[in-house]
Amino acid sequence: MTMTSHAASVRFENVTKAYGAVVAVDRVSFTIEPGQLVTLLGPSGCGKTTTLRLIAGLEMATDGKIYIGENDVTKLPVTDRDVSMVFQSYALFPHMSVNENVGYGLKVSGVKKREAQERSQEALRLVGLSDLGERMPAALSGGQQQRVAVARALVLEPQVLLFDEPLSNLDAKLRRRVREEVREIQQNLGLTTVYVTHDQEEALAVSDRIVVMKNAAIAQEGTPRELYDNPADSFVADFIGDANIVEGTVLGSGGETANVRIGSLELELPCRSAAAGPAKIAIRPEAIRLSAGDHGAGMRGTVRKATYLGNHLEYTIETEIGQLFVSDPHVESPAAPGDAVAVQFERRGVTLISDQTGDTNGAPEPSAR
Amino acid sequence: MMTLHRSLRDERVWSFALVAPALLTVGLLFIYPLGFSAVSAFSAEEEGGWTFANFIKAFDLYSNDILFTVVIVSLSTVLIGVFAIAIGGYLTLGENLYAVAILKWLYRWPLFIPFIVAAQLMRTFLAKNGLMNNLIVGSGLLEPLQTQSFLDWRGIVITFVWKQTPFVALLVAGAMASLDRSMIESARNLGAGRLRILIEIILPQVRPTIVVALILSFVVMMSVLSVPIMINAQTPTMLTVDMAFRINAYGDYGVANALGFISYLMTGVVAWIYLRHGVRQGGSP
Ligand SMILES: Nc1ncnc2c1ncn2[C@@H]1O[C@H](COP(=O)(O)OP(=O)(O)O)[C@@H](O)[C@H]1O
Ligand SMILES: [Mg+2]
Repeated sequence: MTMTSHAASVRFENVTKAYGAVVAVDRVSFTIEPGQLVTLLGPSGCGKTTTLRLIAGLEMATDGKIYIGENDVTKLPVTDRDVSMVFQSYALFPHMSVNENVGYGLKVSGVKKREAQERSQEALRLVGLSDLGERMPAALSGGQQQRVAVARALVLEPQVLLFDEPLSNLDAKLRRRVREEVREIQQNLGLTTVYVTHDQEEALAVSDRIVVMKNAAIAQEGTPRELYDNPADSFVADFIGDANIVEGTVLGSGGETANVRIGSLELELPCRSAAAGPAKIAIRPEAIRLSAGDHGAGMRGTVRKATYLGNHLEYTIETEIGQLFVSDPHVESPAAPGDAVAVQFERRGVTLISDQTGDTNGAPEPSAR
Repeated sequence: MMTLHRSLRDERVWSFALVAPALLTVGLLFIYPLGFSAVSAFSAEEEGGWTFANFIKAFDLYSNDILFTVVIVSLSTVLIGVFAIAIGGYLTLGENLYAVAILKWLYRWPLFIPFIVAAQLMRTFLAKNGLMNNLIVGSGLLEPLQTQSFLDWRGIVITFVWKQTPFVALLVAGAMASLDRSMIESARNLGAGRLRILIEIILPQVRPTIVVALILSFVVMMSVLSVPIMINAQTPTMLTVDMAFRINAYGDYGVANALGFISYLMTGVVAWIYLRHGVRQGGSP
């Protein structure tokens, strides 16, 4: 017997959740396609958990509409939604064995005992805990408890699976492995999954798409690649990966590209319908090329700090546009503090950003606001 | 070696000095009177020497009352348990925040009312022409002639339950409130209704607290004199009334102590159940 997928889409239409005067989720709209893993990413307090709880029905929306599949579930109580959640604290029932924990949802929904046992066993096998069914939760390690929580959610073959910061209680070594396993199970079973994290690396690693949240609203939404290469604003640029945010000037735009001056350099960047005039530009640390000496093309710079990190070097470079943080893979010819260098930018990794709050014009698939 | 021995002995002396006051208090105020009443229960008053005469007399005169006491206190304990769990459960799982707030504010009041006042209140409330019957008659449910007084065993049970439920509910609600909220939410997420969560998820985890609170409550009810005296002046009545009567009317300490010893046995049985329960749970009670 194997698990079947009932994966459904999730759609938010201008959903707001307010706790009195505190607006935890502010007119948020997005669509999650069936079978995709979408991450809600953002700093603490930006409304990620609340969004997840709105999908589960643990909170009711103050305004707006929520759809799972074709059904409007906005007013549907938590017990009637076909959504399973893996809680940050795992929330296992301490007085029940692993088998009883995993089988609880089946028992509640009236599945016959024999079938429930088989399905629990199957779910435990999926998370690699076949032999521990008789144990009590207290006799399991943190990683094992988490797998039990995952099995307990999987066993119901939900339309949507929710994870709230599932790795936050695991030690650093386990994290990478568990997130890979979660992703593997999700892909094998084709589950629609919403995954909350504040860790951008985790988000980049597991997601089909990422929804970046800021102050209860969506800052930007897209694939990991889109967000990294084309951050809509300095918040996203800085939150996903590192970025030097510098001032520049748009000289003119024509069609697909715009001419931009950064300090004494002129670049042609993908156009984001930016009007001529001052603009902000995000520059990835690995998109900055350094060459020794003050001859050659580029902007003049002086090395302030140099740090050797095994597979790459990190520099702080003083330039006419301020200090730049640089990541350089050429470890064989390091520069020392005080050295003069020439600075150039690679096209990929330099992005024009718009920086009015909430303005995501030109961003790939902007969220409605 | 010498210093080690010395310091060990010093430590023992010190630790004894520290617990001595507590031991003395327990000894003087608890063990001694308990031992004394036990001894006097088994002593023949005039001839001296050991005897079961006090117990034989106690059973002759009061076996009905012994049974009555066990039934009344046990029934009250069960009802208190049910109501306390219902209150704790509603405070923990209730959806209507206003109702929860009102209940939270309201349910504790009887805690602050002494037994004797509670008994007095109940007398005026439960009598044949008391407030309760007046309300029932007033609402047209009964004719005045059909009403009956509740000032019998039912009155005692009602008073006990009214007075003791808040105490047990307080402890039980506290234990429930300290459970991980996300555990309750995850049960709801798995599709479990509130009653099911109360019975299958919450109760098993707060059971030790419920048992302790009910035992404490059982012991308190065993020792209350004012309620049976004021509410139920007829026979059968509770052992506390009989003990007071033996002493006040006859100066018969022997039988009174025998009855007291029987009360001790009952609470002892309950305490034993509790200890066994604690051991079986494998944890601290
Ligand atoms: N039950 C609640 N009552 C009041 N405010 C809440 C409640 N839950 C969350 N909030 C507030 O809503 C905001 C978003 O919270 P949350 O969704 O938990 O953020 P995140 O998971 O992104 O850290 C926070 O400001 C938080 O204080
Ligand atoms: Mg959170």
